[in-house]
Amino acid sequence: MHELAIAEAVIEQVQRELHRAGQRGRVHRVELSIGRLSGVNCDSLRFAFDLLAPGTIVEGATLHINQPTATCVCRACGKRTPIEELVVSCPACNSEQISIEGGRDLLLQSVDVEGPCESSPPRKF
Amino acid sequence: MRIVAAKKILKANDQVAAKNRDLLSGAGVCCVNVLGSPGSGKTTFIEALLKHFGGRIRAAVIEGDIAGTIDAERIEALGVPALQINTEGACHLDAPMVAAALRELDLNGVQLLFIENVGNLVCPASFDLGEHLRIVVLSVSEGDDKAVKYPAVFQSAQAVCITKTDLSPYIDFNLSRIMADVRRLNPGASCFQVAALRGEGVPAVAEWLAEHLHTGRSDFGHSGQK
Repeated sequence: MHELAIAEAVIEQVQRELHRAGQRGRVHRVELSIGRLSGVNCDSLRFAFDLLAPGTIVEGATLHINQPTATCVCRACGKRTPIEELVVSCPACNSEQISIEGGRDLLLQSVDVEGPCESSPPRKF
Repeated sequence: MRIVAAKKILKANDQVAAKNRDLLSGAGVCCVNVLGSPGSGKTTFIEALLKHFGGRIRAAVIEGDIAGTIDAERIEALGVPALQINTEGACHLDAPMVAAALRELDLNGVQLLFIENVGNLVCPASFDLGEHLRIVVLSVSEGDDKAVKYPAVFQSAQAVCITKTDLSPYIDFNLSRIMADVRRLNPGASCFQVAALRGEGVPAVAEWLAEHLHTGRSDFGHSGQK
């Protein structure tokens, strides 16, 4: 259900971006950035996107999802370790004096759309 | 051609949430989003706080549930204005739902507005409603591993309340473990222990809320996406 709401928001956001850029072409690729600790399941998001896409401007578009890592910052050893899932202690020194940064973004990174130059080949003189 | 957007997927929700927050701040209302699993004791927790405040702080409650009006009826029975949102299947409240509820609710004289979210430790974490404060309610019967299992919601809150602590003697619940996990995930969060039906621990939460109320109308602290 959560991913369905996210997929819905993605499609609305794509619509706004196209409108803002004055583009009307077919969308063939949508790129998202879904942080590893965002709580969003990417498989479910793909499923929801495919379910909602037909009849919308993203029909037939491929969904590309980046999954940026979070960073474990250790106050004991000072090391910053990229992490793919939540940790309760520093992977380097095992200290529990840590804080977790990032990895929670939900971003629409880019939209690839067929522009006029792609749909009609350059004229030859 | 490629359109580089680099925008929050939930930007539309966040924009409505910001409007909700401005409206509430302008009306001098401190808004508290209460999150937790089904059966964690959210409604009982809110009821206990309302009873504790008596008439000293004027409160109102927005209840979010998939179906039914049971919770709003419980709040109204205390003489506190309540409004029920039925999400009809959605597993969380979003900012537009709250905006619609705010249009229905008479905020005149209200100082404190509770929003009880749909029972769920996952999805509500992502949706800013326009609240000033976020409280996560976790009952001892749910287990002491929940902060690590559902980090996003615990990271997004200003306070974590462990409820049903009167059941602790009958349950293998390690309070120091969950407290350590919460501190690691969210060092700034205030932590409380409450047995709401007995009123135990309620004054401490009430005091914390009252402090936020009195720190000034434009500076209730803020919640939303961290």
